[in-house]
Amino acid sequence: MSSQPIDLSIEFCGKTFKNPFLLSSSPVSNSAEMVARSFDAGWSGVVFKTLNSDRLKITHPSPRMNAFHYGAKRVVGVQNVEQISDRPLKDNLVDFLYLKKRYPEHILISSIMGFSNDEWAYLAKVSEDNGADMLELNFSCPHMCIEGTGHHVGKAFDLIEKFTTTVKNTVSIPVIAKMTPNITDMTEPAIYAKNGGADAISAINTVSGISEVGLEDLVPKPNIFGIGAVSGTSGPAIKPIGLHFIADMAQCGELTLPLSGIGGIETWIDALEYILLGSSTIQVTTGIMHYGYRIVEDMIEGLSDFMVQRGVTKVSDLVGKALPNLKTTDHFALDRQGITRYDLDKCVGCGQCYIVCTDAGGQALEWGAEERRPKLIEDKCLSCMLCNFVCPVPELISFKEMPATWNREETQVMDKSLEREITLEPFTKEGSNECSC
Amino acid sequence: MSYADKFESMKKGFDMGQAIAEADRCLLCHDAPCSKGCPADTDPASFIRKLRFRNVTGAIRTIKTNNILGGGCGVLCPTAELCEKECSATGIGQPIAIGKIQRFLIEHARETDFKVFAKADPRPEKVAVVGSGPGGLSCAAELAKDGYPVTIFEARPEPGGVLRYGVVSFRFDLDFLAAEIEDIRNLGVDFKCSSPIDGHKGAEDLLGDGYQAVFLAPGLWDAVQLKAAAEDIKGLYSSVQYLEGLRDGNLQSFAERIEDKTVAVIGGGSVAMDCVESAARLGAKDVYLVYRRSYTQMPAEAEERIDALQGGIHFLLLNQPVDYVVDENRCIKGLKLVRTALGDMDESGRRSPVNIEDSEWILGADVVIEAIGNKAEDQSPGWYPHVKLKEKNLIQTDPATGKTSVDGIFAGGDIVRGPALVVNAVQDGKVAARAIKAYLKQ
Repeated sequence: MSSQPIDLSIEFCGKTFKNPFLLSSSPVSNSAEMVARSFDAGWSGVVFKTLNSDRLKITHPSPRMNAFHYGAKRVVGVQNVEQISDRPLKDNLVDFLYLKKRYPEHILISSIMGFSNDEWAYLAKVSEDNGADMLELNFSCPHMCIEGTGHHVGKAFDLIEKFTTTVKNTVSIPVIAKMTPNITDMTEPAIYAKNGGADAISAINTVSGISEVGLEDLVPKPNIFGIGAVSGTSGPAIKPIGLHFIADMAQCGELTLPLSGIGGIETWIDALEYILLGSSTIQVTTGIMHYGYRIVEDMIEGLSDFMVQRGVTKVSDLVGKALPNLKTTDHFALDRQGITRYDLDKCVGCGQCYIVCTDAGGQALEWGAEERRPKLIEDKCLSCMLCNFVCPVPELISFKEMPATWNREETQVMDKSLEREITLEPFTKEGSNECSC
Repeated sequence: MSYADKFESMKKGFDMGQAIAEADRCLLCHDAPCSKGCPADTDPASFIRKLRFRNVTGAIRTIKTNNILGGGCGVLCPTAELCEKECSATGIGQPIAIGKIQRFLIEHARETDFKVFAKADPRPEKVAVVGSGPGGLSCAAELAKDGYPVTIFEARPEPGGVLRYGVVSFRFDLDFLAAEIEDIRNLGVDFKCSSPIDGHKGAEDLLGDGYQAVFLAPGLWDAVQLKAAAEDIKGLYSSVQYLEGLRDGNLQSFAERIEDKTVAVIGGGSVAMDCVESAARLGAKDVYLVYRRSYTQMPAEAEERIDALQGGIHFLLLNQPVDYVVDENRCIKGLKLVRTALGDMDESGRRSPVNIEDSEWILGADVVIEAIGNKAEDQSPGWYPHVKLKEKNLIQTDPATGKTSVDGIFAGGDIVRGPALVVNAVQDGKVAARAIKAYLKQ
């Protein structure tokens, strides 16, 4: 394997990023001091914490976050009620100047959110004037309390187009529109943003959620002195939602804008999945909240090694590479069927496969109590793969295709032992149960 | 630091985070082997699954219902040889630390004041239990849960039997024991301490004295000795005398005898490990563990052996003590040892030690403790003259019920099995309690 560091640079909206890994607009990009350390750690750019124009004083709720743990695994999700930057605009802009001076090769993206059309224009202008390389329009913050801001805009598509147009008419730097996932079809608002002149789309912002309810006080968390609220959920738990929206937009023939993927990214594999489904850059917050800026080192090394192993020389060659294999479910070749295959030499005898197959699968396993091993009845296997999901031994259970002549045994209607006790007339159109009304 | 401070408490157990992390590693087996590996049917598979699904109170209920001394067993069981030995997770790494989870859950119940049992409606039939060790406690609790009035007769001043007088406090501390016993007291069990059942037919007479059934669990409290007629040797103790002495207020005098001295302990089981470790803590200059077989043949748990080695104990393996060395005042001066080699398999499935000719040597020692086993007290057959005995004055019972040859008298624990584990005695108590209930309903 090459010992040379490989070039991970990628073009996005006409700018060259030294790698696809950015901080997203959030508590992790709150000040130049923080961002500087992230750049030193290896991040190629930042979407700075969304600017506030000082018209309204921002006070964050306290406490402002709650973690969603799963078993002993901590922070599979974060719920966050923090609002946009609570710093004076001037301080943020001085930070912009500082960052651009000290890190001229790193990309500084200014996230803005206006409370009026004029304010969008104003924040865009001061961002450009103070060195921002790009803008990201925050149409999606899910916990702004003020009507006409945050994800309220992201759900009112005409406002997306209007504010994007305003910003584009004000500045010459590229403009990214950040989408809320709290809708069904993201291509529609993205096209509104495109019509307003947006140069790229970033997605997803946090998913509206409730992470936990306090059982002592019956208050949903985070508990802000007795009150909880629906607010933004982020982290590994929401990655499937982010990947879905990115892929939808990447496949949308009408949109054709570059994408910046966000949502649950912690490892190079997560990042690569976003890239393979159409993202040119990716953005991270919750992973950093959990582990710090250092995780970018493993993203860089992991993606580099993957590219060397696959003989890929440019990250852009990976963008959207999985999309040709992503189709709607009606494209499945249902005439091809398979079953599981067990390599029982590796089995440790826990029997979890037997439990899930019996209670949630095809009842295709028998349990050998003496030898503590499952025995597969091949003709009953549904290939649901539940057994594989719960098996603690890697690669013990795999999928194999069966010959075209093979047929799966149909699931029994009912246990034969019950047949004696009841008589039933199957419901058919011709039968006696036919509706006569 | 006072001597007592060195013996205060056990190593800290799991906290909730550690217990949950460990439960998360559990493979949640079908037909779980760990549960089959518990001699007292404590059912670790169920209580770990309950913890895994945050049913913490249910997990505690499972333990306490199945094993009233679940906390003690969690601490004292040689889990590596029982439940954890069967653990499927061993196939992909380490077994689940079942004993530690079990101990945590019981400690958590105490911290949160979660009580599993409500007092049952009282029943008329009274039962007497002889001995407040694990067998007696288990039987008493099992009966009391169903409302039977139970009285435990204990010869010593405090309850617990081997849990109090046969184990050192850094292995099992008195606060922990007190909490276990408190749970049993709360069921309504009456403890009569300093109440030995001595005299001819003492135990049998309980039947005519208002008790409808009797459970015998007096344990084994005489020491097996290397050589007979050694009682007058000064500085020679049995593990029974020594461990009991540490608990009953003689700690200070033992400490004075041991500090800066050379101590030799004979034996390779858990009791021997308790003896060497406590001698080291009392400030002995050198502590030797003398064992006639090899390291891996020792009955003590691997963790105990490693702790002892790490604690600076000198293991003298493959050495058979053959005689005491005493001075003119009958004060112990050392042990006469013969080196051994491992020969053929014996009935225990282990290669047996064979003395090597002309290999005798003398190990100097100021204190010698024999930890080579306990046996039934010589006078014990007199307490129940009609109860049929087997070898070594052990009581003959039906293993399925604990019934002795005398109607209404049941027995369990070491007095039936010979030296065995706490968890075995717990099971004996449960089995006998079931049989006693059936007997009383006749």
